[in-house]
Amino acid sequence: MKVALIAVFAVMVASARLWLRRRSQRAAQNLPRRRSGLGPFSSDVALVAAREIRERLRGRIFRVGTVVILAAVAAAIVIPVLTRTKAQAEQVGVVGALAAPFRTAVIGSAESVGTKVNLVHEPSLAAARGALGSGSIDLAIVHDRELLVNEAIAANDTSTTAQLVLTLAQNLGVVEAMVAAKLSAAQASLLTNAKPLHVASIQPGKPKGATQTTSVVGLILVFIMLSQYNTWILIGVMEEKSSRVVEVLLAAVRPVKLLAGKVLGIGLVAFSQAALIVAFTLVLASSVGSDLLKGTAPLVLASTLLWLVLGYAFYCWVYAAAGSMASRQDQVQSLAFPLSLPAIFGYVAALTAAGSGSASSLVKVLAYLPPTAPFAMPVLVGLGAVTWWEFAASVALSLVCTVGVAKLAASVYQRAILRTGQRVRFREVLSRRAA
Amino acid sequence: MLNGLTRSYSDLKALDGLSFTVTAGQVVGFLGPNGAGKTTTMRAIFGLTNLDSGTVVWKGSPVGEAERRRFGYMPEERGLYPAMHVAEQVEYLGRLHGMSAHDAESATKMWLERLGVAERADSKVDALSHGNQQRVQLAAALVHGPELLILDEPLAGLDPTGIDAIAEVLAEQARSGCCVLFSSHQLDQVEDLCESVTIIDHGRLVVTGKVDELATSGPRRLVVRVEGDREASWARAIAGVTVSEVDGGAARLVLEPSVDSDSVLRSAMGAGRVTEFVFARRRLSEVFREALA
Repeated sequence: MKVALIAVFAVMVASARLWLRRRSQRAAQNLPRRRSGLGPFSSDVALVAAREIRERLRGRIFRVGTVVILAAVAAAIVIPVLTRTKAQAEQVGVVGALAAPFRTAVIGSAESVGTKVNLVHEPSLAAARGALGSGSIDLAIVHDRELLVNEAIAANDTSTTAQLVLTLAQNLGVVEAMVAAKLSAAQASLLTNAKPLHVASIQPGKPKGATQTTSVVGLILVFIMLSQYNTWILIGVMEEKSSRVVEVLLAAVRPVKLLAGKVLGIGLVAFSQAALIVAFTLVLASSVGSDLLKGTAPLVLASTLLWLVLGYAFYCWVYAAAGSMASRQDQVQSLAFPLSLPAIFGYVAALTAAGSGSASSLVKVLAYLPPTAPFAMPVLVGLGAVTWWEFAASVALSLVCTVGVAKLAASVYQRAILRTGQRVRFREVLSRRAA
Repeated sequence: MLNGLTRSYSDLKALDGLSFTVTAGQVVGFLGPNGAGKTTTMRAIFGLTNLDSGTVVWKGSPVGEAERRRFGYMPEERGLYPAMHVAEQVEYLGRLHGMSAHDAESATKMWLERLGVAERADSKVDALSHGNQQRVQLAAALVHGPELLILDEPLAGLDPTGIDAIAEVLAEQARSGCCVLFSSHQLDQVEDLCESVTIIDHGRLVVTGKVDELATSGPRRLVVRVEGDREASWARAIAGVTVSEVDGGAARLVLEPSVDSDSVLRSAMGAGRVTEFVFARRRLSEVFREALA
């Protein structure tokens, strides 16, 4: 998996370096820029893209939306850290003296469940009961013989306190048995410090909480961002058509350049927003010591970002073509709904898989279909249920399909963008001559 | 120059082998009844409609992307981004026509001032009145200094001040060597503004020529006013004379070549006291109606 991601980024970096080198060579030789062929093409596309970027960044919805997303990400990072800190010190009341072997066992048990204990002396059983009732202690050890909790521990309780209580009950019972067996100090130490056996596994384990959270948060962000940017494309194209400005634009620029500039501009805004969110996540998570970046979480984050780009590249053409077929806002609604179904389907399936921690056959299939892969594939990465070549194959398939969709969309756009009045039907655009 | 433009929509022939030439340095009125094919012709010049056949030629070569960048276009249904600022929008369109950022900025400033909308440069387009939007649209068509200016109904919905301002700019553009072709239904304004007109109907050329020549060609016209006869009933009895209209007692008469104007005068004098008797030019509206008859 890492190999695939590294390969993709390496190709991007190499392309950028090659472009920079060519540019510097041209500058050194003082060669003029090409004014024909690709030259005017790229300059028109750049002008259209620059306008899109300027207008989008100026929009209040974009700025407020970005702040809201950053706040949500910050909450997802900071809240678990804060709650974890609170859980670190379990307050354990002690009624009577706590003998040395028991004390050692308490501390060892706490470590084994990933927490720490703070021993609090309670003068009497009544005082311990009061402290348990008020919540100032989590449990009490009464005269080395009994554990006291406020509420009975349920069988399915996975809280730290419950785990500590169950482990303590087990371990203190063993210590008591050792004392009763009158083992020597060396023997007792050997037993209390016994290390668990190594457990080997054939399959990689299910993701831990951190990776799972990263997967789910990433998935939600990809869905929100793809929905937002696709809507921009759809509404943007429809507005150019309905306001008739497209006629003025197309008098100077070829349709395919106008379309390319629009998707490029909005795409750059999308990628910048996503990159900002990822950078913010990395900086905040590392500065507060969040678990969010532990294990395979960074890999999930990188693949989520990559699939956001691939997902946008695939969907933007579809939505642009749809926008060119509508002339009014109400026509957009009827177009947007069927287009959003594959994304919603992929999103729900992937979210279910990420939540359950296991990849169903359905999600494995969806991870190879370009409309649903942006949601399903990062989740498979998080679950460790995909090999690098499977990942690369899905990327390649998505790229190939994107080229096909872009060609079809450009054709639909050129034929439909100047036809006003009733909504243009897809069949009409493909079968009849353009306006 | 347009050579044999043909474009069909299902059963309708919007353009049917239309050919005509626009001369540099002239304001040319492009006329025709509704559905004659004017807008389709203008869109064809910009490649906005797919022609079945025919070519658009500019200075001897077929019009392509590079040529179109040197043209300016004001479509019938105005097209501007409603939420974009006026100056930014005009500059942007200038840049799409190949201007540098600096040139686009200074040309935008100049045109917004020239058309009287400079103080609205930072307003959004949808905050402007209809007349001001029209001026901004014209600025967008002019900003890059086009060689050919195509305007579809540029005077529609304007008050007299707006019409004067736009008419003055068009005349000035023509004087500086630009070709100006504009369509309009307001024939009186076209007559005042244009040196030449081209009239089409059913996608075919009906008549083209200089306004002066068209006005002096065709049958002679007389305007005769006879005191006390508001219906010009005396004229209707003369063979070879048609009463084209009676306006406030003044009869506008069209004379066939065989009719002698002296005999008309005598008939008028026989009907009463003649207070007006003048030879008149053919109005553009008459040229239009007669061409389409």
